[in-house]
Amino acid sequence: MDAGQMKRQWVDYIKSLFVEGFLDGQFLQLQQLQDENNPEFVVEVVSLFFEDSERLLKDLSFALEQKGVDFKKVDAHVHQLKGSSSSIGAQRVKNACIAFRNFCEEQNTDACLRCLQQVKQEYCLVKNKLETLIRLEQQIVAAGGSIPMMELSF
Amino acid sequence: MATKCIHLFDKLWSFATCKKTRLPTGRRSNLHRDVEKEEFQYASAQCLSSYYSVFVVRLAIMVMLAILIGLLTFLTWHFTKIYTTKSLNSLAYDLRYELLQRPILRMWNILNSTAEITASQVKLSEYVIRSHSNLATQAEQVEMYGAMKAVTWALFSSRKALDSITVKYRNGFVQAFHRNLKDNHTCYIYSDLANYSMASWNDKDIHGKNSSIWYREPLDPVTGEKIGKAMKIAPEDSINIAGLSQVPDGVASWHVAVSKFTDSPLLSAALPVWDSSNKSIVAVVGVTTALYSVGQLMKELVDLHGGHMYLTSQEGYLLATSTHDPLLTNSTKLKMAVGSENEAIRHGAQWLQKTYGNHFPPSHEVHVENVKLGHQQYYIDSFFLNLKRLPLVGVIIIPRKHIMGEADERAFKTLVILISASVCIIVIGCVCILILTNGVSKEMKLRAELISHLEARRKAEASSNYKSQFLANMSHELRTPMAAVIGLLDILISDDHLTNEQCATVTQIRKCSTALLRLLNNILDLSKVESGKLVLENAEFDLGRELEGLVDMFSVQCINHSVEIILDLSDDMPKLVRGDSARVVQIFANLINNSIKFTLSGHIILRGWCENPNSCSDNPKSGYLQKTRTKQHENHVKKISNSDNKMILWFEVDDTGCGIDPCKWDSVFESFEQADPSTTRLHGGTGLGLCIVRSLVNKMGGEIKVVKKEGPGTLMRLYLCLSAPVDATEQHCQADFSNNGLVVLLALHGDRGRLTTSKWLQQNGVITLEASEWNGLTQILRELFHARSPAYNNGFDAHYPLLERLKSKFLSIQELTNPAYVIAVDIELLDLSTDIWKEQLNFLHKYRGRAKFVWVLNHDNNNTIKMELRKKGHILTVNKPLYKTKMIHVLEAVIKEKNVELQRKNKGGDLHESLEIDYTHCDLASSDGSDISEMGGSNFVCASGDKQREEVVRSYSSSQYQINNCLVGLAHEHMEHNTPRKEGSYQSNPNSKDVTKLGTFSTGEDSECGEMRRANSSSRAVNGKKSLEGVRILLAEDTPVIQRVATIMLEKMGATVVAVGDGQQAVDALNGMLGVEDGRRESLLKERNIRSSQTEILNCPPYDLVLMDCQMPKMDGYEATKEIRKSEVGTGLHIPIVALTAHAMSCDEAKCLGVGMDAYLTKPIDFKLMESTILSVTRRT
Repeated sequence: MDAGQMKRQWVDYIKSLFVEGFLDGQFLQLQQLQDENNPEFVVEVVSLFFEDSERLLKDLSFALEQKGVDFKKVDAHVHQLKGSSSSIGAQRVKNACIAFRNFCEEQNTDACLRCLQQVKQEYCLVKNKLETLIRLEQQIVAAGGSIPMMELSF
Repeated sequence: MATKCIHLFDKLWSFATCKKTRLPTGRRSNLHRDVEKEEFQYASAQCLSSYYSVFVVRLAIMVMLAILIGLLTFLTWHFTKIYTTKSLNSLAYDLRYELLQRPILRMWNILNSTAEITASQVKLSEYVIRSHSNLATQAEQVEMYGAMKAVTWALFSSRKALDSITVKYRNGFVQAFHRNLKDNHTCYIYSDLANYSMASWNDKDIHGKNSSIWYREPLDPVTGEKIGKAMKIAPEDSINIAGLSQVPDGVASWHVAVSKFTDSPLLSAALPVWDSSNKSIVAVVGVTTALYSVGQLMKELVDLHGGHMYLTSQEGYLLATSTHDPLLTNSTKLKMAVGSENEAIRHGAQWLQKTYGNHFPPSHEVHVENVKLGHQQYYIDSFFLNLKRLPLVGVIIIPRKHIMGEADERAFKTLVILISASVCIIVIGCVCILILTNGVSKEMKLRAELISHLEARRKAEASSNYKSQFLANMSHELRTPMAAVIGLLDILISDDHLTNEQCATVTQIRKCSTALLRLLNNILDLSKVESGKLVLENAEFDLGRELEGLVDMFSVQCINHSVEIILDLSDDMPKLVRGDSARVVQIFANLINNSIKFTLSGHIILRGWCENPNSCSDNPKSGYLQKTRTKQHENHVKKISNSDNKMILWFEVDDTGCGIDPCKWDSVFESFEQADPSTTRLHGGTGLGLCIVRSLVNKMGGEIKVVKKEGPGTLMRLYLCLSAPVDATEQHCQADFSNNGLVVLLALHGDRGRLTTSKWLQQNGVITLEASEWNGLTQILRELFHARSPAYNNGFDAHYPLLERLKSKFLSIQELTNPAYVIAVDIELLDLSTDIWKEQLNFLHKYRGRAKFVWVLNHDNNNTIKMELRKKGHILTVNKPLYKTKMIHVLEAVIKEKNVELQRKNKGGDLHESLEIDYTHCDLASSDGSDISEMGGSNFVCASGDKQREEVVRSYSSSQYQINNCLVGLAHEHMEHNTPRKEGSYQSNPNSKDVTKLGTFSTGEDSECGEMRRANSSSRAVNGKKSLEGVRILLAEDTPVIQRVATIMLEKMGATVVAVGDGQQAVDALNGMLGVEDGRRESLLKERNIRSSQTEILNCPPYDLVLMDCQMPKMDGYEATKEIRKSEVGTGLHIPIVALTAHAMSCDEAKCLGVGMDAYLTKPIDFKLMESTILSVTRRT
């Protein structure tokens, strides 16, 4: 598979990500921030996001399993997760977080648990997608191509 | 009966009300459907129960009323009737008693008198007989009889009531006087004396044995004289003569006799006459009295009182009645009472007999009321007169009618009247109660309705609140991606590699996005105003400059539409006012935007004037709208609060668009209202603009309305109540040009603009000439400058008679000693479509020496034209529209230049280079509404493209001219590109490019930006195109992802970033933990290959800026900021802190600013916005 083909594939893939709502404009900003000085910026941020999110999700699961759920704490966690996901442009995770926070305000444990499941699911989805994307990018780079700049065509 | 009626009525009523209530319920339920179904059911149930309770209350009241009135009626009737009856009865009883007593008394009298007469007759007879004791001879006998006759007559005549007196001697001789009471016929009856001898005087048995002959001799009733002849009569024919048989035992005897001569019974008494020795009876005396008089009396009494009376013997024989019926049957026998011919008496007697039989009560007294005899009721009373020999019973029968008739009748009538009256009262009372309770129930109904309405209103308000909340939240959510889109577009636009077509497309997208964002902002504004969260700023700002900026901004759009936009502010407008500049600008932006939308040709005028309570009399200088203004003034002068420096500023936005239908003048200010729905298709828009305008104007204590105007179009008039600054000195920028000998030739295309400007100039003592087209301009020019020749007057008169009106002006120009001509030429006057404009320019160029040219440019003028102008030395250029401030600047520049020239002439020197125009008074730093800068930026950058940038470049590049009104670009001849003679003084030539970038943020910040840039450039080497070069930033952010992203963003902009994880670390980092940070920064710096000297770092405070996330573990942003600010107290330092938060509501912003932060950024971080915010904050330090 030559670089051009892979590039097209990559473009199609990222487009699908946007169309399906996994990512939003913030991710584009991230990509734009990547330059010669920070060639691995996106990967770095994304992996940071993974680490952070996994920690937060673990904390959340733990917090929600407690007898008396400390909703303040849960809310803080979700807020953080929302912040990081919105910074990376993981739109669906962010939306799930927004719903989550609403239930936190209502102190609805059941709904929170449901939301947590949803957030986790969204997170897994976006993680898989992003990993695939990064793999593709790495393949392109390895094949000697360059990552095409996204066009603002959608 | 009455209660029954009430009951029935109540039933009917309840039925009617039921129907009534059911009717609206149906209707309402249709309307509200299932939304308020439950509520409604509840309400109807409540209604029903209330109806029941009302019904019960009504019934109870009615029953009580009925009972009360019935009782009252009964009692009244009872008392009146019973007492009357009782008293009447007693009276009647007395009467009856009296009535009966009287005949009985009469009877008694009669008896008595009869007894007396009898007794006296006996006594007298005894005396006479004794005195003739020895009756030897016939003669003596005759004598004795004669004496007896005389005595008897005497007695008889003395008693008129006597019927007869008889004396029967033992020997059978009879002497009797008889009186017929009817005809008063009196006669003497005697027996033949011859048959009686003395011998037989003592015989007892002669009586009745021998048939004797009796005579009757009529007598004179008065004297007793014999008046007729004695007639022989049979003894049987004669009257009753009492004989010895009647006094068998020698005592007086009584009986009732019947005579054939009278039709009434007679009472007869008989007494024996004893001889002197009292051993034998010598004679019997009988006296009869007619009971006729008793009957007479009874008749009289009954005549008087009505009724019937009768007197019977104990056996029941009638003795006397009050009637005329005969008492005797066959005139010989007495009738029984029960056989009386009179019905009443007969019935009465029968009744008595039937009731009592022979068992009369003791004393025989009976008083019976209400005995029904025949068809009438009677009173029956009887009395018993117990005489020894003759017991009598008196009965009186009086019809009840006679006594009680009236009373009975009255009682009945009273009863009827009372009953009818009470029925009436009950009916009326019921009606009253119905009305009353109806009112009460109505009120209850209304109250219930009110309660439900209140409930509904509360719900509606709540839902409205939710709506506002929702809108606010939504617009926040929508704004975030919009900001990203716009930011990305800005990045794209600034990319140099785009082709023209792409650039145009992106610019278009940028425009659309901005429009969308504006719409979102509008919605947010509206929801803010509606939820009452909008708080107006109160800061000082230059109103004139804001409006000028606005007009400049819109002029681009206007010129595209070939619409003229004119700003016409009166001179008395204050320069500085206090208020919310952004909102004021928003008001006018919305209004002008609207006008532009609907105006296809013509003009849009923004007028403004001040209504000062102190200067009530209108300034004659301000010539427009005198009348309307005075009127308005009168209307509103009372509203002015003079106390706290408030003033009323009037504005008008006048356009020549399609206008608004007068009936829509009020409704256009409502939400989502548009004058004509079809315009939405044509022009778009949501109808929110005017609503926001009105809300804002009202919030500022003003009012807005559509005013009738002559000609087509719309005239919006509004006033705002703004306060003047406290230290308000005389701020009116009064320019006085009258003594400078200025002559201004306005060769402008737009009529209204030219008119306004020339009017204003003339008011300020400047002579103006006007030309609207090229030919006019050339004519005037020729006149002005060729007329210097002697042939001027002739030529002028001959060739240009049409310009007669200008003559006076020309004359006044001639009077000026040293006129300075200023010719403002609209570039549109030149024929730009072909190449003729060059020739025209050359033509004008000939006059250059004699007049100053000011070129009024359009934003889209070709560069070649500008270059050409510049080449020819026309350096004064002004962008359209030409308004007052620009004119003042131009004129001042001209005057200065003129003065300099004069000086130079005087000195004869060559001070050309010292030409300096000091524009310090007009450093138009806009008071920086982010809205404006954004919109302005987009307009300038996108629409007018390179040219604008170039102008900005020019303004920066000259340090001497701090020209910052980006539109009055004074393009001086000493352009760096051409004549780099001043280059030595600043090495900033290559910098112009990055300044260009700066210019896109905010044109208003130009001068200060420039200064900052200069300061920067002097202190360090210039490197690349980083906007935040050298700025040191402390980033406090806990989320690693955001931390990383922000760091990279900032570093891309050239800033040096130190990131910390929470507020505590941030505080520590600021409080002298420099050593730790230094190394890291150094490494960073090295990494970035920035040539910065260590000394610089040490000399400066560690950070220029802190970016602070609000929600962080350990210590959140607010706390950290408070901490930092606390530690700064006393040091005089103030490090800018920018908040970084995911909350975008204004309250969050307020909270951020409240704890001492300087600015506020929302997540996700927008590249552009962060850049501009940081710039604006760091600039301040």
